[in-house]
Formats: sequence, structure tokens, C-alpha cells
Amino acid sequence: MSPELSSTSLQFAFVCPLSAGMHARPASQFAGVANNFVSECVLTNLRNRRDANAKSVLSVISADIRHGDRCLVQVSGMDEQPAHTALRRFVEEALPSCDVPLAGSSTQTRNSVPRVLQAAGVSCYFGSSASPGIAHGKVVVVSAMSLPKGLTTETVTDPDEELKRIKLAIAAVRERIREKLTHSSSPLGEAVLQADLAMANDVLLDEKLAEQVSKGKSAGHAVLETGEFFIDLLRHSESEYVRERASDVEEISVQLLDEIYGVDLQKTVLPLEEPSIVVAETLGPQQLLALDRRWLKAIVLEYSGASSHALILARSHGIPTVVGVKNARLTLLPGLEVLVDANRGLVVPQFPAAVQRFYEREQKTLERQQEFLADDPGAPAITRDGKTLEVAANASSAEELRLAFENGADAIGLFRTEMNFLERDRPPSEEEQFAIYAQAARLSAGRPVIIRTLDVGGDKTAEYLNLPSEDNPFLGYRGVRIYGDHRELLQTQLQAILRASAHGRIQIMVPMISSLEEVLQCKAEIAKAKEHLQLQKIPFQPDIPIGIMVEVPSAAFILDQLCAEVDFFSIGTNDLAQYFLAVDRDNPKVAGLSNVLHPGFLRFLKRIVDEIHAAGKWVGMCGEMASDARYLPLLLGLGLDEISVSAVKIPELKRAVPQLSTADCKSLFTRVIARREIGEIDRLLASAQRLPSAQPLLNEELILLDSDSRNKEEAMQELVDSVYIAGRTQDRQQLEEALWAREAVYSTGLGFGFATPHCKTDAVTANSVGVLRFREPIDWGSVDSEPVRMIIFIAMREPQIANGHMQVFSTLARKLMNEDFREQLLAIEDSHNMMRYLGEELNISVC
Amino acid sequence: MRIVAVTACPTGIAHTYMAAARLEKIAKHFGHEIKVETQGAMGIENKLTESDIRQAQIAIFAVDIEVEGRERFNGVKVIQVALQEALKNPEGIFRKIQV
Repeated sequence: MSPELSSTSLQFAFVCPLSAGMHARPASQFAGVANNFVSECVLTNLRNRRDANAKSVLSVISADIRHGDRCLVQVSGMDEQPAHTALRRFVEEALPSCDVPLAGSSTQTRNSVPRVLQAAGVSCYFGSSASPGIAHGKVVVVSAMSLPKGLTTETVTDPDEELKRIKLAIAAVRERIREKLTHSSSPLGEAVLQADLAMANDVLLDEKLAEQVSKGKSAGHAVLETGEFFIDLLRHSESEYVRERASDVEEISVQLLDEIYGVDLQKTVLPLEEPSIVVAETLGPQQLLALDRRWLKAIVLEYSGASSHALILARSHGIPTVVGVKNARLTLLPGLEVLVDANRGLVVPQFPAAVQRFYEREQKTLERQQEFLADDPGAPAITRDGKTLEVAANASSAEELRLAFENGADAIGLFRTEMNFLERDRPPSEEEQFAIYAQAARLSAGRPVIIRTLDVGGDKTAEYLNLPSEDNPFLGYRGVRIYGDHRELLQTQLQAILRASAHGRIQIMVPMISSLEEVLQCKAEIAKAKEHLQLQKIPFQPDIPIGIMVEVPSAAFILDQLCAEVDFFSIGTNDLAQYFLAVDRDNPKVAGLSNVLHPGFLRFLKRIVDEIHAAGKWVGMCGEMASDARYLPLLLGLGLDEISVSAVKIPELKRAVPQLSTADCKSLFTRVIARREIGEIDRLLASAQRLPSAQPLLNEELILLDSDSRNKEEAMQELVDSVYIAGRTQDRQQLEEALWAREAVYSTGLGFGFATPHCKTDAVTANSVGVLRFREPIDWGSVDSEPVRMIIFIAMREPQIANGHMQVFSTLARKLMNEDFREQLLAIEDSHNMMRYLGEELNISVC
Repeated sequence: MRIVAVTACPTGIAHTYMAAARLEKIAKHFGHEIKVETQGAMGIENKLTESDIRQAQIAIFAVDIEVEGRERFNGVKVIQVALQEALKNPEGIFRKIQV
């Protein structure tokens, strides 16, 4: 026992035994013990000399007590003796076991950071990419805590009344937590709720709230300011655990605000005034639409699901988005300047010169890659064995439509119409809609446009529709289901679509079909709209194709009946997977289960496609699954007629199709659905999807004779980028890591000013040889310690070792030992001659 | 002097062959007769036969990994160096042999 423990007065000292420090759970238990007594209890952190009221969780947390800190507890008052005994017993017996780590909090996937950034020593925040792109701006944090619209200047007539409102709200929140506690089945969940409860019971919170009211603030204002006060206090702590508690305070504050103003708190619109990076826990589609898009440069979310409507919107508007960034709102403080690299799922908060240079070069790489992809964007995507896959675009505006066709879209596979219905007081008129649809038809210049009728409900609502607030909106009143109550709205839209059909190849598609009756009713409405137009002598396409979305599983089991009624189908994988797998895609706890690679789901898709084809009808896919190049072999294996994806994905997918053969893909699909676990499927897909292509070893994109790389990291990045620009890798990170892994054995600097970085990896789609010649020699750690003037790199696909290319590589390696050969390589002036020379020396054909 | 050698590196794409070329060149310079077997990504090439090995006075292993068929060299004097040595200082290897 340490000398301090032999107390002279009613005090004792202890050393914090908790590896995570005195975070909310132990603090709440500590305060719980102290609150059993009337005596004053002061806890002092002897390291930083901070005094805390031991009865206040917030106060104890704010003392920032970390593992190994010496602390002093002093008790004085009427019942100091029993209080002292109880606290001391708690510290000695219960405190050390208060530290069970929270389950499920460490599942963060570590992305790897490009070596150039690693070498620059910047610490990045990690998430995953939900919408690609790179942007730069100042952090704006969207707080869940806000006052209702128009209530920011409430006038207070009676402070006592305000205090009463707060007390009632606190009582209700406590009651709600207690209620949850009785239903809690896990000890950890219980501990978290207990900590919340302690927070809601906190005396310091009470004091602060009362103080605010006495200053003339309304109940809501007092909660808001008090919440912000504590969040700010905790956020600036040095301990991550303490910083995390800020979100607990926010949670309690939000609950209090909900109590005071009712649950359907209208969120205030956040004004953006400069290039901004919006940071939030999660964003609803309405919230996203309300943001000023001129200044919205990127989005960073703590939430980690990838298919919510807000994210789909972000993708379709091309807003770079990184999701699953742990504690983003706590670490990315308002006003901080950050760069969001949504291609890699990184947030970069520091900009030394090396980082700026990296992103300037990255920008050029991406531009050159786009140019290379866009060689002949309009050409159809035909597999090696001659099957054409229609690659169409999802769009919801004229801008997106233009971008889609610039990128080579064959058609518009999904034209969403609901965006014109949201964020306004009344629905768009027939004229307004006709203008939009007719413009889409004209811009498509003879290519098909599938216009989907209004799909609201779920998380997309419009006030004038009076959609009820639902506990489970995705299983509720949405899509085709609202048409019965809004016939006029539907008629208006159908007439507008039909009128537009006189200006292009328009098709009508109905969302959320689950039964034949719905189809028959919609067809009747379409017939009615046609009749109306006929009477008015307004032109339209009389045999306009009518199709439906396959997104409710029940529809998939009556396809024989549906095929008799409609002309085409489009599979909406987002909802179909959510309904089929019983997973709420917006619930982060289960979103991970929503995996389209589930063998059951893949078999289900197969059944759908086969049955529709058996009836001689057309079937496409417009969900997120279609946008992911990883899944392309599966989609070809399924035998889809079309995929419809976001415009930015089209070049990549169109280039990938000719590399594949449907026969290979069909056999892959058969093997995949025979697998028992998603992990196995993932692996099989990873190896199969990088199917070898027929590209030659060398092409001009791989020869860079005037490199301005300044060090080994930059040079490696540049060579990886050249392989990427040449369309020979989709996974730059893996290629880079493979090259560095080889360097780690020993440097590939072979002396004489030459180096030969090389690797075997599936990250390249074709065996590749390339050349980089530097303006300024670079240190490569070569055997003769001389800097390197030129590198010849080799990237080889793993399973292809036994082909003739290996002969070429060994010849090249041997020739590099020859001085004349090296002299020639250093002397050749342009890349064209370099190609010719290498082609002759290595006896390979170059294109 | 008659010399046999084996080169082998971890990936077997580049250094195996560079070292072989280097050893061949420097051996010639020193007036030796050399045959180099490469154990790379293409498997064993220019394989040393039983009589190659029997007739050799010395075997050089310039390798970073285990030599395949090591037992073939039983009874022959072997010097083993890191593969990089054959790139960095091949002359040194041959000087060592001559002593």
C-alpha cells in the first residue's frame, strides 16, 4: 500500500488501473457511488491538477484521468465516513474490472496509404470510398443537434416554465433509457446505457442548464448551448476515449431536444459559404439536397453503409464521399482544411509540399487515364466471344444525361423522376415534366431512355404528398403503392412521359411492383393517359414499351404471369437484396450482411434472369451491384441484356467487357454459386475477375523518358500510375505494395545507374514491361551506391509464369548486364524509338 | 578452371538471370570455363548435368533461396554467396576461388 493511502483526513489516493483511462463507464459507476451520499466528494488528478466533482460523470471525465495517473479523493460532509469507505472499496475492488472493451468497435479496415504520403509523414483518417473523386475544402460539421426552423430566436417569458420543460425532458429521457435497460440483453449494451443514464443524471449538466435558463435562454437553447459547452470541453481532451464521450453528450442533447420540440425535429439548413467538406454522422437525402452544391466539395460520414439514398445521390452528383470514418466529427474540427481522397477512402489533414505534389501528379494521372479510357467511348461493349452487353446510365437530370453520353452510354437504363418532386411545395406540372422528359429524349438522340415513374416513400418524401411517418418506411408506403391515392399525380406524369415519347425512344418503368394487380392497375392508368392524349390529338408513341423494376422478391416468383403483361424488366439490386436478405441497408449494425455475393442471392438472380429470358423478354440491372467492375464477370455470367450504372463508371466497364468471354463468365458463375461462404466467393471472384487480357508486353503509355520524380517513392508511384493509365491495373495500391515487397528483400538497383523494380501480382491484367528515365538521378539503394538514372520495370501476372513472356524477361535481365545495351537505353531520344529498340532487342512485337 | 554455378532469387524474374549473365561474363574475363544453371520463374534452365558437375573443380551458388537438387553437388567444393554479391562484386568471388 502506498504511503498516500494511509489517510490522515478523509482522503485517499490511488493510481488509475484502467488501460483506457477513466472513461464514461467507470466514471458513471464512480459517480454512482458518490451520489449515494450527501458529502462533498472531490476527485483530483494529481498529474494535471484538475479537480472534479466526483458526483458528476462529465466532471470526472473532464479530469482526463489516464492509465497510471495518481489521483486523490477527498470527502467531507455529514456522512463522510461511510462515503469514504464506500468509495475506497469501489476503487480497490470494482474499478479495475470496469474496463471491458466495447465489442464491435475495432472492425475498422486499415487502408494502406500510398508510399509517397507515408514518406511525407502525414497521418490520414481512414474510411471507405462511397463516391469517387478528390476534393479540398474546409470542414463543416453537420451536428445532429439543432433547433427547429424559425425557433432560433425564441422569446422567454417565464424562466421557471423553461426550467420545468427541461426537467420534464430530462425525466422522460431517463425513463426512456431505463426502459431500454430493462430490455437490454448484453452486459456491454447495459453498461453503455448505464453511462448514458449517468450522463442524463449528471449534476453538472443540471447546473449548467439552470445557469443558461437564468441567463434568459429558452429550454431548447439551454440544452443546445450546454451540449455544445460539454462537447467542446470533451472534444479538446488529449484522450481519444474522452473525446469519444462527446458523442454521448450529443446523443443525450438530441434526445432532450426531441423531448422539448417533439421527435420530428426539422433540421435547420446549413449554409455553406466557401469550398466545404461536410462532416456528419449520417445524412438523409433531404439534408443532402438542401446543401448548397456550389460549395459542397466532399462528404465525410461516420456511418459506414454504402447504399443509402443519400450516397446514391452523392454518386450521381459526383460528390466525392468517404464513409465509415470513425469519430470524424470529433477529429475533424470545424474550419480545418482537409483534402478528401475518396478514391482511396482517405481524409488528409496536412499539406506539406510532398503531399501537394502527390495530388497534383494524381490529378494529371486521373485526367490521362480518363483520356485513355475515352478513346472511343461510343463503341459497343462486346465480349471476346461476341456478345454485346448494353452499358447504360442511371441519370436524373439533363446534366447527368449529357455526362453519360460523353462517357459512352449506350442508353439511359434508369431515368429517375422523383428528384423533381422533392424539396418543393407542390408537384411539378405536366408542362414542367414534359419539358424534362422531352429534353432527355432529344439528348439521347435515338438511344433508349427508360423513365421510371415516381418512386417516393422510404427515405424520399415530399410534404405535399402527406406521406405518413413510418416506423419501417422501406416496408411501407412507397413506389407503386402510393399511386392508388395519388391518381391525378400519376396521370399527370404518365401524360408527360407519353407526350415526350413522340420525341425519342422512351420506355416506361414502374417501381416496387410486388403483385400482378399492381401491374394491371398501372397498365390501366397508362391506357387512360393514352386515351386522353388521343382525344386531344396530342402525338405519342402508341406501343411505348412498359416494364417493371424487379426489387420485391414476390415479383420474382410470378415472373411467368408478369412476362405476359410487360415488355421488359430491370433488377434493382439495392432494394432486392435488402428485402431478400432481410437487412436494413441503413442500419450500420447489419448493413454488412447485405452482401450481393450471398450465394442465395446470386442463385436468386440467376433464376430471375433465366425465367425472363425463357419467356423471350429483356432484362437489365440498374442497382449498385451493376456499377462495381468487380462483379462484371458475374453479371456477364448471369446473361443480363443490359447494365445501367452511374455515368462515371461507364468507361471503365465498357473497357472491361471486351477483356472477358461469356463462356468463361458462365463457368465462373456456376463455380461461384456452388461455394458455401461469401469469403470463398470473394476470393474466387478476385482471382477470376482479373482475367488476362491480350495486350502486348509494352505500349507507349509505359515509356516515360522525361520523369520528374524526385525520389524512389515518387518514381514507384509514377510507374504504377503509368500501368494504370495504360488500363493494365485497377488496383494501384496492390501493385505498388507488390513492388515494394520485392524492394524490401533487397534493392533492385543493379548498379550502373539502373534499377529493375519487378513483381508477380494479379493486380495487373497483362504482363507489362515499362521504362522510366529520370531528369535527375534518384537514390535507389543500389548495390554500387550510385544513384539511378533509369528503371526498367516488369510486372507479371501470377498464373502466367510458364508462357513466352518469361523468356523475354530473362533476356531483358541478361541484356541489362551488357554495357552497350544500357548505353543505348540512356541515349534513345523518344518513346517511339525506345519501343522499336526494345521490340527488336527482345524480339517482341510492339503495337 | 572449370566452374559450375547456380543462380536463384526470390521472385525469379530478374536477378537470377542478371547474376547468371554477370558470372558468365566475368568468368570469361578471368579465363575460366563456366556453365550457369538458372533456377527462376521458368524453372531450372541450362541444367547442370552429372558430368558437368563431375568435371568442375568448384561450384558457385549465388542464391537467396535454397538450391534445388543440392545433393547433386556432393563431393564438389561449393562456395555459396548471396545473389547480390554476384552483381555487386563478381570479381571478388573469382579472386576468392583462385587463392
